[in-house]
Amino acid sequence: MSTSNSGFLAGAADIGRRLLRDRAALLGFALILLLVLAALFAPWLATHPTDVYEIHTARRLTPPGAEHWLGTDRMGADIYSRLLFGARITILIAVIAVGTAVLIGVPIGLVAGYYRNWFSDLLMRLSDIFLAVPQIVLAIAIAQTLGPSIENVILALSATYWPFWARLVYAETRSVKNETFVEAAIALGASAPRVMLLHILPNIASAIIVRTSIGMGATILTAAALGFLGLGAPPPTPEWGRTIAESREYLPEAWWYALAPGIAIFLVVMGFNLLGDGLRDILDPRIRRGGREP
Amino acid sequence: MKRLELILSRLLWLVPTLIGLGVITFLISHVIPTDPVAILAGENATAEQIAALRRELGFDRPLPVQLLAYFQDLLRGDMGVSLFSQQPIAEELATRLPATLELTFAAVLLASAIGIPLGVVSALRRNSAIDHALRVVTVSGLAIPSFWLAIQLQYLFAMKVGIAPLNGRIDGFGPEPLTGMMILDSLLQADWESLGGALRHIALPAITLALPAAATIARFTRAGVLEVVTSNYVLYECAMGLPGALVTWKYVLRNALISTVTQIGLIFGVLLSGAVVVEAVFDWPGLGAFAVISIIQSDHRAVMGFTLWAGAIFVIVNLIVDVLHTLIDPRSTR
Repeated sequence: MSTSNSGFLAGAADIGRRLLRDRAALLGFALILLLVLAALFAPWLATHPTDVYEIHTARRLTPPGAEHWLGTDRMGADIYSRLLFGARITILIAVIAVGTAVLIGVPIGLVAGYYRNWFSDLLMRLSDIFLAVPQIVLAIAIAQTLGPSIENVILALSATYWPFWARLVYAETRSVKNETFVEAAIALGASAPRVMLLHILPNIASAIIVRTSIGMGATILTAAALGFLGLGAPPPTPEWGRTIAESREYLPEAWWYALAPGIAIFLVVMGFNLLGDGLRDILDPRIRRGGREP
Repeated sequence: MKRLELILSRLLWLVPTLIGLGVITFLISHVIPTDPVAILAGENATAEQIAALRRELGFDRPLPVQLLAYFQDLLRGDMGVSLFSQQPIAEELATRLPATLELTFAAVLLASAIGIPLGVVSALRRNSAIDHALRVVTVSGLAIPSFWLAIQLQYLFAMKVGIAPLNGRIDGFGPEPLTGMMILDSLLQADWESLGGALRHIALPAITLALPAAATIARFTRAGVLEVVTSNYVLYECAMGLPGALVTWKYVLRNALISTVTQIGLIFGVLLSGAVVVEAVFDWPGLGAFAVISIIQSDHRAVMGFTLWAGAIFVIVNLIVDVLHTLIDPRSTR
């Protein structure tokens, strides 16, 4: 609840300490860290780093063993190595898509919640229409029209996810705007952008952070589903969802093919969900009081 | 009176939402920089052929005129013809609706049967080992990619153990179609063989869709029960010496399940319109599978038709849920 810089740092340190005590949130953080490390050091961690684009027909569909820890795929590529490089695509898509959605949604929510006029009504109605369709459906429609590529997946995801942040920020802004400290700032003659950015935004930041963590998980799941449907990056990109789609033809013999990418998606999404849950317990005590989580 | 007002205003809101949805699908299909006409014409089309096709399809007219024509077609129920089946898209979607409806009902029933008891136990045994174990299970349930789970279930139960069919809806012709929902149809006609076949086929896709849904339901039930258990009137009933089971059944569950019921309704809407990938993996001949076939064939009009349908279904289901909610819980009209 502080707007000064030192207070903010102390607050962040406090949040960090409390996160360390929440074992579930800590596990979530560890899983996300694992994903980031895998993506950063993929070329060094991979046992067969060139397999991302090379074809080795001689060792197609080899079961897991000493040479290929997680087996090989239909092109003879090492699944473990491709998994690591796939982590890069997952992070890239999730961070840019969610980042864009936040950058669109938060200002819209702020402005609409601050001025309450016909224009803010229009903005909120627009976001309601987007929210009126399941995200996967709109994302499919946009990604299909644009054609299969990573950029288009990112575009489709950010175009469908921004209303979540707009809605949240709108509601939070409206409730904070009536607080005495905002009224005081306005009375002192602070300009509207100043009030929004320096007085309202810091006080609703926790809600945005919680929503962003959970939103990352949801975005990664949807991106994987788009990849699975063939709407993501074209082969030989080591995208996890696409790898799972490819594996279907080789079942039941190549049981290992889809196993690792599926578990990877599961762990990463779980990481963001656990972290989001933990952050919400710490940052949003109102929900705790309502008995949502112990 | 307040309640009627709320329902009416929600009904009125349906109109601009559907129009907005129409505008969005129009913008996606007409304005996005990839040229839809060039795609339709194919890779080998000459510039003249593309221009001729553009005129024929009306893509050379000003955008507002195109938008108007688009809505005129929609109002007549005309969404164009599917490249896949050569059937009108609207007709194709209508004939596929019962299959999706059946799968959604099965999944929601299953999810409720799993999720509600888990949530109640979790809340009543709060902070026990069971509660912690169930927390892990529900968080996991929400993180599993459904298409992956579908494939693993196929591998395990259809390919290895062989107790469930790999995909499809029925072996042979199935029961005489009355409602289009095979389980219901075979029950109505006492066709036990078809009933068995239909149940075996629906098992795996229903389980795939039910697991994440059960996790959501369990979480909401747990939260609802916790809120009621700690309330004053439950404390009062307990203090009056009423047996615990009676308090749980009569006073806790009835009040706690309001938010769960709403949540089940929302899940129903999501599954009805968004079970795209799971239907595709199991070749379940519903709306979602049609969407995937259309994606593979780059059939723009069919994908947009599906988007509109799915959106409309979702909006209407949500509306019904809202109205039901105001009926069950009078507090929400305040």
